[in-house]
Amino acid sequence: MSRSGRPPVELANDEVHEPGTLRAGRRRIFIAGARRRVAVHLIERLIADPDVEVVMGVDRGACPPTLLGCDPERFVFASADLSRRRQVDNLFLLDRFRGHPFDTVLHLAFQGNPHGYDFQSHEFNVNAAQHLLEASLRHGVGKYIFLSSDAVYKLGPRNDFKVREDAELNLDPDGHPILRDTLDAEFICRAKMDSPKCEVMVIRPSGVFGGGVISGINLLFESNPPVLPVGFDPMVNPTTKERLARDLMLAIFLHGKGLFNVAGSTIGPLSRFLEERGIKPVRVPGPALKLANRVQRVLGMTRYHAGFHPKRLYYSLVLDDGKFERMFRAHAHKVLALGRQGDELE
Amino acid sequence: MPPLLRSKRLSMELLRPLLPDSEWDRVQAYPVADVGFGTDVFGTRRELLGFGYALGYWLHRHYFRVVSGGHEHIPKQGGGVVVGNHSGVLPFDGMMVAADVFRYTEPPRLVRYMVDYFVYQVPFVGAFFRGVGQMPGTRRNFDGLIEEGHLVGIFPEGAAALGKTAEQRYQLHPFTHGHVELAARHRVPVLPFGLVGAEEQQTMVADLQPLARALRLPYFPITTTFPWLGPLGLLPRPSRYFIHYGEPLHIDPDALRSIDVRRHEVERVQDAVAELLRHGQEVRREHQGAPR
Repeated sequence: MSRSGRPPVELANDEVHEPGTLRAGRRRIFIAGARRRVAVHLIERLIADPDVEVVMGVDRGACPPTLLGCDPERFVFASADLSRRRQVDNLFLLDRFRGHPFDTVLHLAFQGNPHGYDFQSHEFNVNAAQHLLEASLRHGVGKYIFLSSDAVYKLGPRNDFKVREDAELNLDPDGHPILRDTLDAEFICRAKMDSPKCEVMVIRPSGVFGGGVISGINLLFESNPPVLPVGFDPMVNPTTKERLARDLMLAIFLHGKGLFNVAGSTIGPLSRFLEERGIKPVRVPGPALKLANRVQRVLGMTRYHAGFHPKRLYYSLVLDDGKFERMFRAHAHKVLALGRQGDELE
Repeated sequence: MPPLLRSKRLSMELLRPLLPDSEWDRVQAYPVADVGFGTDVFGTRRELLGFGYALGYWLHRHYFRVVSGGHEHIPKQGGGVVVGNHSGVLPFDGMMVAADVFRYTEPPRLVRYMVDYFVYQVPFVGAFFRGVGQMPGTRRNFDGLIEEGHLVGIFPEGAAALGKTAEQRYQLHPFTHGHVELAARHRVPVLPFGLVGAEEQQTMVADLQPLARALRLPYFPITTTFPWLGPLGLLPRPSRYFIHYGEPLHIDPDALRSIDVRRHEVERVQDAVAELLRHGQEVRREHQGAPR
């Protein structure tokens, strides 16, 4: 056992790494889902870091405008359909990366927006997760990170005041298909977590705030006005896209594998977060919430889907990210020592 | 959260006249470990605590006219499990014990109960319970409260004991084992109490179990006043409460390893509560001047 009491990470060449120690060498990072706001923010930070050799962003469609001006030696954008195995494989076989393969793969390409969800989205979500992980293992990637969601936790009046990684999952067969896709993708990752060659991490973030971020809580806050059920005020600890990007950087730079919650440092009732931003919600009786949400969506007043996580506005969901804190944030000084942005961690 | 309660000014000030200045100051001095927006990690909010205590204090002093003893046994600091009998259709007994402990401990201590889940499904009620520091009864919640050094209240008879009929008055339902196991695991004492008077606040005639199951409630009471007088029929009669705390019981750590030891420890707690109940009934008889 390691000094921290956790089993050390063993790699194929008999190297043993203490969780939280700095990964050797310069990073060559593959980011799937580069058009996501969090990904854009993360890529900007990564390419500003001298210890990142190159970042390749992959997504369907064109490169995000804010990344167009990046140094082509440090950032490459590729358009590909990640649900196609061959296309995923081809990305790892590009000339530039054949001699110096990626050492980190970050899977952010999960289609989590219920708007327009169909069978193709389902196929994309599950196949992309599988193909990316398999390609990573085949091509000797040292670390694979999948960004999941806190929606996987079962929510109800029995919830703990802080939800740990081992809490009950929402396996309700009537749950939203995206939720089932997320669980499928997580299970694909968890099946490979004992891989001797690759550190597989699943990160479950709490709701993410940030301009244009497609997360349940952000879409709710961007509604005009947000509609909440009368008589309920759940406790939440949402994070921000900046904080999430910093947490992802720590996950990229430090050794460690497994399931981790990441969340914001502030815990409070949902209504207080709204008040702080000067947003005045409208309250409707619980049974009328879905209808009110539907009307709002039809009128273009919101992009929030109350049906995706129906109990979210009723019961508290405060993620306990103590495990991530101990294994990663506590070692941020190692990242800071090399001039990275660890000093900005709260 | 209703706007009336959400507004700090209103919720604190609304029942302010019910509290004397000294008690008001004690509420203000109660430490709520702020994790961002004036709440602690459990969701306790000082303004709701003030609201709840003002109401509890008034009921404690003027409505139920509580007579209590054995406060010297209440731990002044650190975790502990507060365990006693449960009755009265609506849980005013829990409220009165919490108000009594808060009133007679210095610095004031808040008993945080492990509450039945159904409460948190009810609009306003669940939010209010959380705001005054009461938590859904899960092991992780218990662990969190004890680790932070709180007094945790448990009614081991369960919520169904609130629906005791008139014939079952002062008969204890079998105690569950959870409180003993958790106290042993955390090496914290069990503080037993006996509460006399709540049984008389309502006269329960029958428990409509089929309706209770349909409404997902632990019981559905038919009393001499409910449902005949509508919701008003649930209001308790102002019967005087007698609360007595016993010496803290230290649970044998072997309760974690042996079911026999655990059962024995549960019996020890149940016997202590039963003894305090008998004592409370004697005190009540003396108080009423009736012959023994």
